[in-house]
Amino acid sequence: MNFYALGFLQSDFYQKFRNAFIVSDRYKLYFEGLGVTLKITVFAGLLGLLIGTAVAFMKLSKTRNGKPTVLSYIAQVYTDIIRGTPSVLQLMIMYFVVMASSKNPTLVAVLSFGINSGAYVSEIVRAGILAVDKGQEEAGRSLGLSSRTTMLNIIIPQAIKNALPPLGNEFIVLMKETAIVGYVGMTDLTRIANKISTRTYEAFMPLIGAAVIYFIIIKLLTIGLGYLERRLRKSDSR
Amino acid sequence: MIQDNLQPVERVIRVKGLQKRFGTNHVLKGIDYEVDKGEKIVVIGPSGSGKSTFLRCLNLLEIPSAGEIWFEDKLITDKKTNVNEVRRHMGMVFQQFNLFNNMTVMKNITLAPVKLGIMSKDEACETALSLLDRVNLRDKADSYPAQLSGGQKQRIAIVRALAMSPKVMLFDEPTSALDPEMVGEVLEVMKELADSGMTMVVVTHEMGFAKEVASKVLFMDEGIIMEEAEPETFFSNPQNQRTKDFLSKVL
Ligand SMILES: Nc1ncnc2c1ncn2[C@@H]1O[C@H](COP(=O)(O)OP(=O)(O)OP(=O)(O)O)[C@@H](O)[C@H]1O
Ligand SMILES: [Mg+2]
Repeated sequence: MNFYALGFLQSDFYQKFRNAFIVSDRYKLYFEGLGVTLKITVFAGLLGLLIGTAVAFMKLSKTRNGKPTVLSYIAQVYTDIIRGTPSVLQLMIMYFVVMASSKNPTLVAVLSFGINSGAYVSEIVRAGILAVDKGQEEAGRSLGLSSRTTMLNIIIPQAIKNALPPLGNEFIVLMKETAIVGYVGMTDLTRIANKISTRTYEAFMPLIGAAVIYFIIIKLLTIGLGYLERRLRKSDSR
Repeated sequence: MIQDNLQPVERVIRVKGLQKRFGTNHVLKGIDYEVDKGEKIVVIGPSGSGKSTFLRCLNLLEIPSAGEIWFEDKLITDKKTNVNEVRRHMGMVFQQFNLFNNMTVMKNITLAPVKLGIMSKDEACETALSLLDRVNLRDKADSYPAQLSGGQKQRIAIVRALAMSPKVMLFDEPTSALDPEMVGEVLEVMKELADSGMTMVVVTHEMGFAKEVASKVLFMDEGIIMEEAEPETFFSNPQNQRTKDFLSKVL
């Protein structure tokens, strides 16, 4: 065997790497952790999008004479509470108080993060809709289209284009935020890294490893979002 | 044919005592006016005098604070009126064009007729193409608004309104947002439309257009119609001092 290769295999660095990833197939644990992270992120993201969109329309609702409705007040209170409290606390309250009897921690996490994300998404969607020029709606209505048809065919497609970059950003924030599920005993990617580091008495490798995995996933996501954004911008090109 | 003379003129729009307030800002203070079929009404007046507000009340983009508006034999200011149904028959062209940015020119034109079940998709496309021919823009059918010049956008906007076969066309300063070299092409389309017999209400600062095309010129100021006359009289012999002052500034 090559002298340098031998030297590498005996090195401290390689031993740490082995302990962190290879011994007793530990790499599989990272993937399991990543699975938990992704599952919570994706479902909470979808739930957040759903809640956020509904809440955005609640916020934008107006009475006949242009005043805010009761629904819009409720929506504002929800947003204020969510944004005004730490998400770790929200998760713990959900896990230990509201859904204390639940046997399904993933569900609890999805609900908690979904409700949390919904508040931020609602602001993004609201801003995306408001950023569409008022003239677009007026033109639609002046042709005799209902407000519903105008919304669906004219306003929303343009609002989505406005909202996509911040929504992508929110999704990325959400994914990293799920790293706090360790607080309620769930084993996501971060928690796995932490567990392995306590077992091997070596923190560097597992933590850096987890960080690299987050980074790669998010980088891929960013590339995908950029692609989608460019496609949606097609109608703006000259 | 005495019979013919007795035929009443077809009234398209009747406005009675129209008022509009924005909060404490009393913008329209009582407007009475009637537009007959085929008439071309040109509305002029200083900025802020309520011209746009008046026009936008006609198709209920603004809800009048008081007064009545009749479209043909319907009282459209009545709460029970189906606003969408009324608007189908009133085309509107905006200063800022307001083409739907997310759609091609073709989709812009066909959206309303198809969604409202007035035409099939094929019929709507055919209509759109022949209308586009009329404004020499057939080759832009697949373009997006962002790829068009201002003059092209406004001509498309006119076509979009025409695709609904409206009974009246409302124009709110259709050339004010255009570069000077594009004003002509849009006015040309509007003149052709006028010649074809369309009933039109046009808010504009283009005095040449008013002289050439208008059947009546209205001068609005301080929320009322200060003066109305046929263009020859209006421009050569204005009665009201306000009108005289305004004309001396713009002519
Ligand atoms: N949506 C609105 N809310 C509050 N005030 C308004 C609104 N629309 C118009 N106004 C006010 O009504 C008045 C008349 O405006 P309007 O746009 O009808 O004038 P205009 O004659 O069309 O002027 P311009 O020549 O500048 O277009 C102005 O004082 C304006 O500030
Ligand atoms: Mg105006």
